[in-house]
Amino acid sequence: MGGFIGKRLLAVIPIFFFATLLAFLLIQLSPVDPAEAYLTAAHIHPTEELLEQKRHEFGLDQPLFVQYAQTIMKMCRLDFGTSYISNEPVWQEIALRMPATLQLAFSSIALAVIVSIPIGFLAAVYKNSVFDHLSRVLAYVGASIPQFWLGYLLIYFFSVKLDLLPVQGRGSWAHLVLPSLTLALGLIAIYSRLLRASVLEQLQEPYVLYARTRGIKEKIILVKHVLKIAISPMLTGLGMNLGKLLAGTIITEEVFSWPGFGRYFIEAIFNRDIPVIQAYVLISACLFIVCNLIIDLLQMYLDPRISWKGRSSH
Amino acid sequence: MFNFRKKAPLLMLLLLSIAITACSGNNGNTGSNASAENNSKAEAPENKTITVSWPRDIGPMNPHVYNPSQLIAQSMVYEPLVNYTDGGEVVPFLAESWTISEDGKTYSFKIRQNVKFSDGTAFNATIAKKNFDAVMKHVENHSWLGFISLLDKTEAVDEYTFNIVLKQAYYPTLQELSVIRPVRFLGEAGFPEDGDTSKGVKEPVGTGPWMLSDYKTDEYAEFTRNPNYWGEQPKIDKVVFKIIPDGDTRVLAFEKGELDLIYGEGAISMDAFLQLQANPDYATQISSPVATRQLVMNTTNAALSDKNVRLALQHGFNKEAMVQGVTSGLEEKADSLLSANFPYAQSNPAPLGYDVEKAKAYLDEAGWMLPDGKSVREKDGKPLEVELIYEKADQIIKPMAETLQAEWAAIGVKLNITGIELTEQVKRFRAGQFDLYFFSNYGAPYDPSSFFHIVAEKSFGIAEALANLPMKSELDKQVEEALVTTDENKRKALFDAIQTTLHEEGALVPVSYIKKTVVYNNKISGFAFPGSRDDNPFSSIAINP
Repeated sequence: MGGFIGKRLLAVIPIFFFATLLAFLLIQLSPVDPAEAYLTAAHIHPTEELLEQKRHEFGLDQPLFVQYAQTIMKMCRLDFGTSYISNEPVWQEIALRMPATLQLAFSSIALAVIVSIPIGFLAAVYKNSVFDHLSRVLAYVGASIPQFWLGYLLIYFFSVKLDLLPVQGRGSWAHLVLPSLTLALGLIAIYSRLLRASVLEQLQEPYVLYARTRGIKEKIILVKHVLKIAISPMLTGLGMNLGKLLAGTIITEEVFSWPGFGRYFIEAIFNRDIPVIQAYVLISACLFIVCNLIIDLLQMYLDPRISWKGRSSH
Repeated sequence: MFNFRKKAPLLMLLLLSIAITACSGNNGNTGSNASAENNSKAEAPENKTITVSWPRDIGPMNPHVYNPSQLIAQSMVYEPLVNYTDGGEVVPFLAESWTISEDGKTYSFKIRQNVKFSDGTAFNATIAKKNFDAVMKHVENHSWLGFISLLDKTEAVDEYTFNIVLKQAYYPTLQELSVIRPVRFLGEAGFPEDGDTSKGVKEPVGTGPWMLSDYKTDEYAEFTRNPNYWGEQPKIDKVVFKIIPDGDTRVLAFEKGELDLIYGEGAISMDAFLQLQANPDYATQISSPVATRQLVMNTTNAALSDKNVRLALQHGFNKEAMVQGVTSGLEEKADSLLSANFPYAQSNPAPLGYDVEKAKAYLDEAGWMLPDGKSVREKDGKPLEVELIYEKADQIIKPMAETLQAEWAAIGVKLNITGIELTEQVKRFRAGQFDLYFFSNYGAPYDPSSFFHIVAEKSFGIAEALANLPMKSELDKQVEEALVTTDENKRKALFDAIQTTLHEEGALVPVSYIKKTVVYNNKISGFAFPGSRDDNPFSSIAINP
């Protein structure tokens, strides 16, 4: 197992180079000069002399290869540089916003898991019942409703009309409810359908028939055997979504004035704040890798047939 | 049955989320965030607090640098030597009086004696000089401000006499001294050891009526009254800024009562403003014009270099209907480049009205004829086709551009509209790489001097657009002379002549006067728009008993 984790963590190295190179090249392709973007954002009139001075200050007058190499060297020392806009260390700026993003990501995932497991499981067990049909409607609504619109609807009903929850901001648990629900609804739609399909598939497996012939109680077969295996595809989806949520949820953060990572990154893009963009790309890539690794380990834990050497035979 | 060991991963996930929720609730930057939790509903009536929204974090509150510090917040804490009032009058502020030498180069300010910073230290000529020295360390960053690029030296003559000496006379010096940054004053306690504020300030200590009392990045900022304030104390105790980047969320927060006031240009959509205006529970106000939205025609474009084509395009669209339709009456049709509430604004220029036949006649005269069976006019085999660039996120320019496209199609002119990113758009404008562009002047206190300055000075886009006017060099001379002359009558005559030329040549088309809006609930009274475009309005606000 240790070897497996080590191997997966080693995969971070090529991804690190690929992600940083890609971000670097994409920034180069942009027609906007970061020095000019900086001065424009700072409301300083960009004369040629000032532009040159800023390019020199940011190291943009160096050959591209040197710029990239310097970035890599710095990143290896976990030095993400200084934001062009705020003049503060990028790491410090990200760390400031990280708790809000983590909080929203984990609460949305937790909510999605808590709600979608019973819905998906019961929809499969009571296939074609009213509950199944209702869960299908919920899934359609959840999958098709745009997040920003859902956010506004939730604010309108629960905050403005019913006066139950705050409209925006962060602080107490009440602030967390609506943004988490906005993010979770789409996930609930996907997870509940994934789980339903997976449970139905498992119910066709011979081990279920054998268990029934052995007289094991239906409840135990469903919960202890079927659900445990059927949850696997949902966990894979969870890994991908958790990575995405941890990388910031721009629209939801904007609608609910949630002071997270995504909003900060969007501003960095508009301002061509290169150190922030590079740090963000790298951190996002690492988050995806780590989340997927955790989910893989979780799957192995739940289904011992999956081993780190590959799937063993049944 | 499930056993606990098997359920552990899910439970861990849940617990982790709860733990983060619990932990992250109080990781404030400064102090407790409990106070920001209070929305206006929760405030007791005797606690005179108002809650407002702002789209961006207030920033590091450094009076000598620009982005990401927000002007409105800087204006609450830091004050100028002189102040700009509505209509363009410059009045004493931290300086109680001033004299200007005959040659117009030396400005001598008598500093008010009872002024203290919020930490209790005195404001005097020495600290004024220290601030100017910090600004002048990076003079290149501030060269957009005319008087700074002409600044020779500053002197602390005695404790309460402060001199600003210029290399040459420059009449807008007083107006420019009233701007919000970088010429307002930081207290000694805010300076870093080396005195170079460009790298940051230790704490935001100013002489203004407000002090920053609590702050959390991207969430909120609280300003309380400065107990040492030299002037009339504000009528309210506290102003809380909630950082709400989305306009629709701002409206919902206001409707719920989490906000008392929404202020700022473009803070909410025009539809939302009209909807709130119709609600008797809320009060709304629209300011006098703060700037002019103008359509810039680049005279270096072959077609637009012809005055007849420019005049045809002006006559070829119904300005009044466009402005009314796009802005729902929140902007006003403009017929002159400066609105009447600006100093030196030209009165009664003969407006170029909507007249399709006249427009067609001008185009015929210019040799742009409509070939049979075609919809676009041609000259020497080339179609009459121009491009308008705009920032793609702009909700007003886009429908205006589409209106022009439809209206000009009727006179045989093809308008291509191209939405681009803000930075790219500004870059192309400054380089003169455009045919048509919507520009707005800077507003008070920068105008009219800043506007006239960029008519002559290259690299701002306007001078580039006007480059092919036959009298451009004459215009440049007039601008230069008007900005340095100490003869008020001469300056007025020169500014009149410049405006007449610009109006007659039709390369800068006044479209609409931009106005500010404000919406507030019935808790608030005494709201008045500040004279300066970027200033804050909080000093006059009172809370109804």
